[in-house]
Amino acid sequence: MLKTANRVLLALLGLGLFVLGGGVLLGALDLQRHWDFDVPGWWPFRGPDDVVLGSEGRTRWREEDWWWPTVIAVLAVLLALLLWWLLAQRRHRLDRVLVDSEDGAPARLNGRTLERVIEEEAQALDGVSRAHVRLTGRRTAPTARVRLLLEPHADPARTLRRLSRETLAHARDSAGLDRLPSKVRLREVRHRAERAT
Amino acid sequence: MSANTSRQPTGDSDLSSGPGHAAPPADGTPEAAEGATNTKVIDGSGRSAHRFWSSRRIPAALAALLSAAAVGFLLYDVVAVRAGRNALRWRRRLAEELATRPLDDVWMIVGAAVAMALGLWLFLLAVTPGLRRLLPMRRPTGIPGTEDVRAGLDRRAAALVLRDRAMLVPGVQSAQVAVGRRKVKARARAHFRDLEEVRSDLDAELGEAVTSLGLARQPALAVRVRRPKKG
Repeated sequence: MLKTANRVLLALLGLGLFVLGGGVLLGALDLQRHWDFDVPGWWPFRGPDDVVLGSEGRTRWREEDWWWPTVIAVLAVLLALLLWWLLAQRRHRLDRVLVDSEDGAPARLNGRTLERVIEEEAQALDGVSRAHVRLTGRRTAPTARVRLLLEPHADPARTLRRLSRETLAHARDSAGLDRLPSKVRLREVRHRAERAT
Repeated sequence: MSANTSRQPTGDSDLSSGPGHAAPPADGTPEAAEGATNTKVIDGSGRSAHRFWSSRRIPAALAALLSAAAVGFLLYDVVAVRAGRNALRWRRRLAEELATRPLDDVWMIVGAAVAMALGLWLFLLAVTPGLRRLLPMRRPTGIPGTEDVRAGLDRRAAALVLRDRAMLVPGVQSAQVAVGRRKVKARARAHFRDLEEVRSDLDAELGEAVTSLGLARQPALAVRVRRPKKG
């Protein structure tokens, strides 16, 4: 969700900058004459002697009653949206998970506790040096982000298999969840090469 | 580098030429065999070979912060002028520059080029997946409930695993492994045994190791063996 929003907004911003810069460059190098093509009538940059924002462009609407309120409203809305976009980038961490305890009353499980349990269980796995777990998503449908630091000579595929089959499955079952979608990143402790004896 | 690899072409036909050393570590064999069958299953269904897509938090936060600052200053100044104060100097200066500098002024051209480059870069950030350091791993199959696990292996970690495996081959004194997103390049120095033998052993060992990494997409393998430098 955030991924899509970020990518769409970045693409729009990028395209906007690209078109603006390209338009100015087109006029500055007089490319429409050199390459012999026509620009539409509303195109603002007419040639090397034109300016980006002339005073008649800047003051065209200034006498109208609606101009300043509109400018202020548009800027305010834009500012609010940009701040919202900025705040949306914070990593959201789940504080508690709602557990269906099958007696009607949903129980609440502390998110930090669940994170720590998964971390400890993952660290107990063979070949895992350190584990870091974050729960995100919704309280009724959490997702886990797991980062593992493997010890030297660990087998990544086997470690992953045990992590998903044991650690994450335990966590899912003990929290009474149907699924616990997880993203796992595996890194390895840097170490020197040594000859096996 | 490519010239060297072509001088010593790697071929799958060499894989069977290392029987003398074909005793892998005790736990390696079942893993590798299982991995090999999994490859076929996954390749047939085409599932889970997706790359990880970055959520582009940092570029988005930077873009949002800078745009919000620009819009905020402009809004403040517009409101201040409406309230009867004078416009701040930067805005008068900006309006004057924009209105007087012709388009073929050096600063305008440089600014336009920078804007174009920045825009292109932002657009590329938006449409490319990123996270090039993570190689997607195959999902464990056949176990209920594990389909929800998506894993990626750091390329440097893969290189370390492969280097450690390369050091197991008799005769290898030192080894360097570079893991690309599609290709694994291994360079080794062998201080005894015939170079061709060491190379075919390395081919076999690393081929098996690459399979047992459990990657969704099997990278190609290129092996080079040389004598250590004298001195």
